[in-house]
Amino acid sequence: MFESLQHLINGFGIATTIHNLLYCLIGAIVGTLIGVLPGIGPIAGIALLIPATFGLNPTSAIIMLAGIYYGAMYGGSTTSILLNVPGETASVITCIDGYQMAQKGRAGPALAICAIGSFIAGTIGIFGLVFLAPPLAEAALAFGPPEYFSLMVFGFIVLSNVTGTSLTKSLMMAVIGLIIGTIGLDPVTGDARFTFGSISLLGGIEFVAVAIGLFGIGEVLVNVDQPLEMLEQKVLVPRLRELYPTLQDLKKSIGPILRGTGIGFGVGLVPGPAPVIATYASYMTERRISKHPEEFGKGAIEGVAGPESANNAACQSAFIPLFVLGIPFAPPTAILLGALLIHGVNPGPMLISQHPELFWGVIASMYIGNFILLILNLPFVPLFANILRIPKKILLPLVILFCITGMYTVNNSIFDIWMMLLFGGLGFLMRKWAYEGAPLLLALVLGPKLEVAFRQSLMISHGDFGVFVNRPISMVFLLATAIFLVIPLIRMVLKKQRKEVS
Amino acid sequence: MVIFLFGVISTLLSLRMPIGTFRAAGTGLFPLCLGIILMALSSLLLLQLFFKRRQTIVKKGTVVEPSGSTKQLIFFFGTMVLVTLFFNRLGFPLSSFLLMLTLLRILGVKRWTFNLPLSFMTAIVCYFLFVQWLKIPLPKGWVGL
Repeated sequence: MFESLQHLINGFGIATTIHNLLYCLIGAIVGTLIGVLPGIGPIAGIALLIPATFGLNPTSAIIMLAGIYYGAMYGGSTTSILLNVPGETASVITCIDGYQMAQKGRAGPALAICAIGSFIAGTIGIFGLVFLAPPLAEAALAFGPPEYFSLMVFGFIVLSNVTGTSLTKSLMMAVIGLIIGTIGLDPVTGDARFTFGSISLLGGIEFVAVAIGLFGIGEVLVNVDQPLEMLEQKVLVPRLRELYPTLQDLKKSIGPILRGTGIGFGVGLVPGPAPVIATYASYMTERRISKHPEEFGKGAIEGVAGPESANNAACQSAFIPLFVLGIPFAPPTAILLGALLIHGVNPGPMLISQHPELFWGVIASMYIGNFILLILNLPFVPLFANILRIPKKILLPLVILFCITGMYTVNNSIFDIWMMLLFGGLGFLMRKWAYEGAPLLLALVLGPKLEVAFRQSLMISHGDFGVFVNRPISMVFLLATAIFLVIPLIRMVLKKQRKEVS
Repeated sequence: MVIFLFGVISTLLSLRMPIGTFRAAGTGLFPLCLGIILMALSSLLLLQLFFKRRQTIVKKGTVVEPSGSTKQLIFFFGTMVLVTLFFNRLGFPLSSFLLMLTLLRILGVKRWTFNLPLSFMTAIVCYFLFVQWLKIPLPKGWVGL
């Protein structure tokens, strides 16, 4: 424990260099902007900014990219409260009571509680990360290829189960992502697969192109596929004379903030779109335990404080599986894994010992980033709110211009832009037909690791599939996977029975 | 159906590669397994949709969702394709100017007095930001900037 604190102090030494402070600030500002602006989320935002980190050392690069991720969580609440339009999916639930508060002239306290709650949750989350990550990394040293394979399968199934409306559709997306991930050189033998003689395909499909395409271009196309009148959104920026919450507001919020932090931190450790699930879980908990549940939906500050704290805590704890196991459980951390690999860092149980400056530097920077965001989000809220005045018909072409430029800069390749456009069109159609992009992206990033783990496991066992169930840790993951596969079936049967009874 | 076909194609292409055995897997084994799983899943989805549609037709009849502005979408996407096609020849500053100008018009910003200066300013700012400040090597094209 004291050793962790000592490392954390060293981390602060790394994070507080002028260079890293600047990148932390840039990440926090860009993240807040991405959170504020509808049409571009943290996934496309991080992917777009990866080329800008090529000249940086890995620590500074991840400090900036991580700042975008948690900064977006802060910014997302602004549009939810002021416009009733969530800036990103983790802020959907904040719309319910946040917008009601704004309608009653209490936008200021709602925004302030979001910032304070997010800061407290972020801070507690970071301490959780500091004390949980090292022992978990030691435990993860016992993981061999079968355990990694089972864990990744578990991750795909859980993510597919909790995203979208159909498990079958989400699983199909995950398998398509895995197939796309096999394009390029075989990670074991080095033979070319599905390249059709193209040199551009030898390195595989650039995951940044898929991320920007599915989540950036696809989102813009969904917006464009609306009648022109719908692009003319009326932005009402309320007067923020009374920005600071009252003592009563703070009293009401402290419980939900702490509970939201706990829920968020726990949810962030398991596969799935953690910040989104955490906000729902926190909102439901607050409403259930409240003495005045009838106030929820009509502007209850608890309905803003809990979920906003939960999404920030989930965001911090989502870094644990990424850093400790090298396995991201959600698309934003999958993009961060890609960024780490680009910078020559292979995250896993050895990350803390092999790259202590990166691990502890990034953690310390998160704390500083949370502080920067608190400062940014309290007095500068009117400024961010004014950004919302930019009409969508100007914003959308700008997003496209940044996507094309950003994509080109990854490899200076027009081929990558074509890939981005292809996946943009695909992302649009997927949204239209209710297919989820998250399992596809996660599978694409994890595909090569999954294949290597699968083939190594079978090599170790001389082709015996029993290796996946004979080893206890692997068996636990597979059992959990089976449970998650059976749950939707049970739900379906129960629904049918209920229908028949009624 | 499209996804099922994708599964069939990837399975057939995998079969052209060395499959090997489970003990010593060849290049094609993993994609072959994935192709088969994808075909199975898409068949399952087709079955689910078939039963659901039958129920929906019996209960309500088919529901057709009103489509949005398809023409606008096609022009918007077409502009992106055209700009990508000529990106190297036009160069970054001119491409970004034309891209902004056309996309703004498609989205209903029709006043030239607003549209032209905005596109021009955006192209200039992006040029100085990416090319001059961040030193990113973007295509120079005919303009030579």
